[in-house]
Amino acid sequence: MTTVDPALGRPRAFSPVGLSVVRRHPLIAVLAAMVLVFQLTTGSFLDPANLSGIATDAATLAIVAVPLALLVISGYLDLSVGSTLALGGLVAGWLAGQGQSPVVAVLGALAAGAAVGAVNGVLCCYLGLSAFIVTLGMLAAVRGFAQQLFPLPLSGFGSGFAWLGGSRIAGIAAPVVVAGLVLLAGALFLALTPAGRHVFAVGVNREAAYLSGINVRRTPFALFVVTGVAAALAGAIKASVLDSAVAGTSGAGFELTVLTAVLLGGVALSGGSGSVLGVLLGVLFLGGLQNGLTLLNVPTFWQQMAQGIALVAGAALAYFAPRTAR
Amino acid sequence: MTEPSLRIRGLTKSFGGVRALDGVDLTVPMGQVHALLGHNGAGKSTLIKCLGGAYPPDAGTIEVGGASYTRLSPRESISAGVAIIFQTLSVVDALTVSENIFLGQEWTRYGTVNRRAQEEVAAGLLERVAASCSPRDRVGELSMGQRQLVEIAKALSRSASVLVLDEPTAALSGAESDALAERVEDLRAQGLAIVYVTHLLSEVERLADAVTVLRDGRVTHHSAVSGQSRRELVKAIVGETAGLPGDTAGVTGDRSPGDPAEDIAGKSPTAPAERIAGRSSAEPAGERPQERGRVSGPPRLTVDGLCGAGFGPVSLTVAEGERVGLYGLIGSGRTRLLETLFGRRRASGGTLRVGKRVVAPARPAQALAAGIALVPADRRRQGLFPTLSAQDNALLPAVGSLSRYGVRARGAERRAFDALAGAVGLRPARPKLSAAAFSGGNQQKLVLGRWINDVRGVDVLLLDEPTQGVDVGARQEIYRVVSSLAAERGTGVLFASSDPEEIVALADRCLVVAGGRVVGELSGAELTEQALLSAVHEAGAGSAPPLSPPPPPPPSSSPAQGAV
Repeated sequence: MTTVDPALGRPRAFSPVGLSVVRRHPLIAVLAAMVLVFQLTTGSFLDPANLSGIATDAATLAIVAVPLALLVISGYLDLSVGSTLALGGLVAGWLAGQGQSPVVAVLGALAAGAAVGAVNGVLCCYLGLSAFIVTLGMLAAVRGFAQQLFPLPLSGFGSGFAWLGGSRIAGIAAPVVVAGLVLLAGALFLALTPAGRHVFAVGVNREAAYLSGINVRRTPFALFVVTGVAAALAGAIKASVLDSAVAGTSGAGFELTVLTAVLLGGVALSGGSGSVLGVLLGVLFLGGLQNGLTLLNVPTFWQQMAQGIALVAGAALAYFAPRTAR
Repeated sequence: MTEPSLRIRGLTKSFGGVRALDGVDLTVPMGQVHALLGHNGAGKSTLIKCLGGAYPPDAGTIEVGGASYTRLSPRESISAGVAIIFQTLSVVDALTVSENIFLGQEWTRYGTVNRRAQEEVAAGLLERVAASCSPRDRVGELSMGQRQLVEIAKALSRSASVLVLDEPTAALSGAESDALAERVEDLRAQGLAIVYVTHLLSEVERLADAVTVLRDGRVTHHSAVSGQSRRELVKAIVGETAGLPGDTAGVTGDRSPGDPAEDIAGKSPTAPAERIAGRSSAEPAGERPQERGRVSGPPRLTVDGLCGAGFGPVSLTVAEGERVGLYGLIGSGRTRLLETLFGRRRASGGTLRVGKRVVAPARPAQALAAGIALVPADRRRQGLFPTLSAQDNALLPAVGSLSRYGVRARGAERRAFDALAGAVGLRPARPKLSAAAFSGGNQQKLVLGRWINDVRGVDVLLLDEPTQGVDVGARQEIYRVVSSLAAERGTGVLFASSDPEEIVALADRCLVVAGGRVVGELSGAELTEQALLSAVHEAGAGSAPPLSPPPPPPPSSSPAQGAV
């Protein structure tokens, strides 16, 4: 997958802007083809109501995918986001159910997510343990912890909390607005801040970054915390939309869906390359695929297969496609 | 003469527009050691890689053991009987010695590896190369010298008839180098044709039956080694065309005619006395961007009794604007010393002062804050961000300082990059091109450029093997950049090198390092390549043969004089 970070990837003067973006993100073409096929076969794919549904579904994915992508670019990984999402939803729902204001409920969820992220970050960045192992362990541990705290499904969070998932801001669903802000923040972070450069540098060559005087622990640690917070926020939004949260099943398998979106979006699992635009495309592609197949009444297990095939096909295409000058 | 084991004719290979090899001939009969000499970038590596099947040649033929090839695949190369021992050894640390020797050609019985039979044969091979390790030792636990012998044993197990050794002593201690030289002599006696790539003329004198010198992809010299003076070899290597010691301009750019005899005959040194007294014969005038002199400013870096794992105690000073070389073999502690000064390793004792401030950097970031910067030796592992742009590579440490309110200052960054690219002579000076697309020399300029900007001043610049894997042209530019940094900004430069030529070309003063200590100091007229070589060999291995070579022959004995 051709990935150039947005700061460097400004199109050259002589090539049309659109074309160069498509060349860097071939997923755009795939996405367009998919939209066309679904519109022709279902006839309702592009209805505003359906699009808004896709956007709302994809919003939670995007909120977690952006910080996770930054983490992967810096050479780390977080597999625990599915369980963190469940924990966040449960904490927020429980607080709301106790009569706390929605703001307190959400802040409680974010604190829980930050705690999970901080544990991940300390173990991976400061103690140098493998992120794969640590976050795989946390995936199981946090899920178990959530089940211990909330053995019974929670529901009935009240109308105040429902605002988070159901309200509209300027005609746009609140979760979509939040996702938009997260995407924007991620893109600006990578393009405009020195720390954004450091994320790439650490991901490409950690030793060289260290010898260049960069703090190679602080930025990835912060990204672990932000990823945990984002997962918990996504959990709170989901709990609000569904008006329920279940410790055993909420967000189960979510970590792999998010990772699929991130990798489809052209972020290299080995670190050092990726872009927020790519992540957005990956999220839209997965959301659109799921929605279109549902409209076509394709059974769920076929949908899962399609998702898996898309990931492998995307990787294969990127591998066999002629390399552009990098 | 016996049928040659290896005969290369007219081998030509270009990369882009650059001719890396241009009609090279090389013939090595059985039982002969053929030394291959030349500067970095002269085409030695390309020649070896064509031989090993890594590159397909554009033209020419390679004959091995009677069969002729226009190109070889790696597999064909091995089955034809060519074995190449690269500088970076290709042994697998986690496997045992015998497993390494039989890797890819395991002996099996009933579908399982016949470990016992392998170990028996391996023991025989190890004996043949006089290795002291056992077939069951893990390679990761062996010394570099033993690992090299394991690779040679592996080559023998494949019944190689042509053995190529690529700078085999570069990573060895003095004693290990001597042991290797004996092994090479044994293998010659056993009838192998050996191509011996080296920088060290003393090795040529000791081992080689014939010599070929490459420069800019052409053979500039070919002869039997006996009767060769070092001076002639050096001339062929550096392509020295002018005899004037002060002539610094034309030397590197000049392409001397292919015929070395004519070359030597045509140009006679005009100031022989000074050459002998002040300069080693191996010192091309062009590698001297600045005159050497005693620099006696206030100290920029003062190291007092510094100790750490593998070195010390070391005391030294670098004055303002002074370029101090650390000459020593690999493993002498040079790198550890530099890394400790830079906070990459922990010091166990001693003090360190930058100017008058005492500093104790625990991390590179702290060293940088104190004004100490390091250009590490291993560019690929420690220096470069290959997939990031040139601008990112060069400005990484400065981006934070240039930013305002946490937001990057794009315009200032671009200006800083342009200034820096001009200062180091980066080619092409394209900020967005990824670093991997640059040549080794320009990649090194990017890494060096990190510490040459106005944003973040550097008081002390440490360089470890500053021109490793850098072509000749870029070498000169790097010397020029470092020298002007010292001259114009008063930066104290401390650089480590295992290349005596580099020390002579760049240093005002040189400290000889062996066994983790400073064992000698050379400056002014005594700082010559020969003096360095003998100093380090005397200090290093006590068993080393007397390496102080005969002084460069007086001009009257050279053929050049007769012609004039």
